[in-house]
Amino acid sequence: MERKLSEYISLSQTIDITKSSKKIKVGILSSFTINGLGETLTVKCSESDIECKSYVAGYNQYNQEILDPKSKLYSFAPDITFLIIDIRTLLNKIFHHPYSISSLERKKIVKEKISELRNLILQFKKNCSSKLIISNFSLPSYSPSGLIETKSEFGFHDMISEINQELSRIAKDEPSVYVYNFNQFISKFGEKNIFDYRQFFIGDIKIAFDYIPYLANDLMGYVKPMLGLNKKCIVLDLDNTLWGGIVGEDEFDGIELGQSSNGKAFVEFQKHLLSLWQQGIILAINSKNNFEDAIKVIREHPDMVLKEEHFASLQINWNDKAQNLKVISEELNIGLGSIVYFDDDPVNQERIKQEIPEVLTVKLPEDPSQYTDILMSLNDFNVLQKTDEDLKRGKMYSQQRQRTELEQSTKSIDDFLKQLNIKVTIKKADKFTIPRISQLTLKTNQFNLTTKRYQEEDILKFSSDNNMIVGCAQIEDKFGDNGITNAFIIEKNDKEWKIDTFLLSCRIIGRGIEDAIISYILKEAKNQGIKKIRADFIPTKKNSPAEAFLPNCGFKKENEHWVYDLNNTIKSPNHLLLEVE
Amino acid sequence: MSEKLYNIISKIFSVPISEINDESSPETIESWDSFNGLILVDELEGNFNIKFSVSEIIDVKNVKDIKKHLSNHGVDLNG
Repeated sequence: MERKLSEYISLSQTIDITKSSKKIKVGILSSFTINGLGETLTVKCSESDIECKSYVAGYNQYNQEILDPKSKLYSFAPDITFLIIDIRTLLNKIFHHPYSISSLERKKIVKEKISELRNLILQFKKNCSSKLIISNFSLPSYSPSGLIETKSEFGFHDMISEINQELSRIAKDEPSVYVYNFNQFISKFGEKNIFDYRQFFIGDIKIAFDYIPYLANDLMGYVKPMLGLNKKCIVLDLDNTLWGGIVGEDEFDGIELGQSSNGKAFVEFQKHLLSLWQQGIILAINSKNNFEDAIKVIREHPDMVLKEEHFASLQINWNDKAQNLKVISEELNIGLGSIVYFDDDPVNQERIKQEIPEVLTVKLPEDPSQYTDILMSLNDFNVLQKTDEDLKRGKMYSQQRQRTELEQSTKSIDDFLKQLNIKVTIKKADKFTIPRISQLTLKTNQFNLTTKRYQEEDILKFSSDNNMIVGCAQIEDKFGDNGITNAFIIEKNDKEWKIDTFLLSCRIIGRGIEDAIISYILKEAKNQGIKKIRADFIPTKKNSPAEAFLPNCGFKKENEHWVYDLNNTIKSPNHLLLEVE
Repeated sequence: MSEKLYNIISKIFSVPISEINDESSPETIESWDSFNGLILVDELEGNFNIKFSVSEIIDVKNVKDIKKHLSNHGVDLNG
């Protein structure tokens, strides 16, 4: 349940935001009175441990704020800016009288409006490095032409749809610009609820007070991933969470799943979890049960939507649930702060909240028919960009579980590595791999020699420089595709190469992959008549896993740098296959 | 008397109940601006389950006026 706007406003006066560990500056521009949104965002941010400072531009001042390079908005220097223009303001008198003009004229007006919006976006980008979130336009439920609106030649509603489509097209080409689907917001809560004529006539308020907190909730969906606060993993209880009843007592045939009304609620909930898994969210289980009882349901129940292959970790045992959650976090190498926990038992919910407050413990009601709605209202799974690797993440983590199981059942590490049938494919930087290479430099903390962070534009520049090599490697094995999980950047000089960046995603460390790739680089250099390769290790708080890498590969310390003399023989591991694309 | 009303006013304008009386108005309560005035309307409507008209809302000059309109809507402040 969302709180009232008045509560947020009074809370915003009492909270101490300076204790928060993350900071963000939010700009708010709108074409109507939107008082209270800044206060609500401040409170919501503080609850996510973010210090939020907001600048709310004067009423209907958005044009001046964007077009004047010296505006207050730009001197405030926001990190993220929300621009909310309503359809009445945009269309002006045409909003009420769309049929006072011909369809050709309507088309012309739409073109003008689109070019106005495009200009605002481009001017904003020129003057400011902030991300820009621009809302699209709501389709009014009413049309003066009544039921034949849908038959009108480029009618009133077509105008708005066309503007929305164009707006999305513009944003697709601008990495820092996003369209907020305000039209969907209105459909979700209802035009009659959101637009209160009295508030509109008295104060030019176009979003009724009660709905400002819901709007703020949607906008938080952008703020969280900007600060790396998006969740990556959902940990689930089993009994009364994924199915009804207790399998240990009610037995395989006695649980509710599929046929009954409650059974359908659990199936629906599982379907939505699966769709999140397909978007790269990791799923895991934390349940007090006999392993055999529970796994039988997962493997054999005809109405289970989620199967064993969807879970990256299965903690089905009688251990303490908080302990299990910590095991999952370590096993998957993800922070506790990236986990959302679903458990129907209020006692368990309370226990996890107190023991591991970093985990987002969802307050589940007793009635399973509400589970799906609660899952869908979470704004914590958003990301601002998505690569192929992100989409495959859920699958890759469950394959990882199978690898670990093989490792535990194999006697020697060499046997294990041989059985994996690893294939390394070296790829050049191109338009398909550049976003991922940039993402790896931005996100990789552990196996990273220099921890240099590069945006897409940087990688693009390097890759077109003849004196540089930018590459990456895709790793596959018998359990599946790990995707592009290595990247390297090399500076070429006549006699010597310098490794600027060499990194490996932590989930593939320790399988000889790093050795194979470095030996590929060494051989390339040797073939081109180079005598020496220089590399650096810049220590950080997190990159100790890469510390011994250079000496282990045969690099020798010379002054402050690590140097490999290419007259030496180059070793490469023989348990894997390396291909160059 | 009027306890519920005063509680709401006190909460919305962040003033102690003891400072609220019939003559309290935007002149005597600093945080009573037009926006907070509308927030107050929203709270009163929710709490007393009524709806004011635009004329009633813009007519309010002080707490006494609020009481008048509440009682026109059948709210018994002495009850």
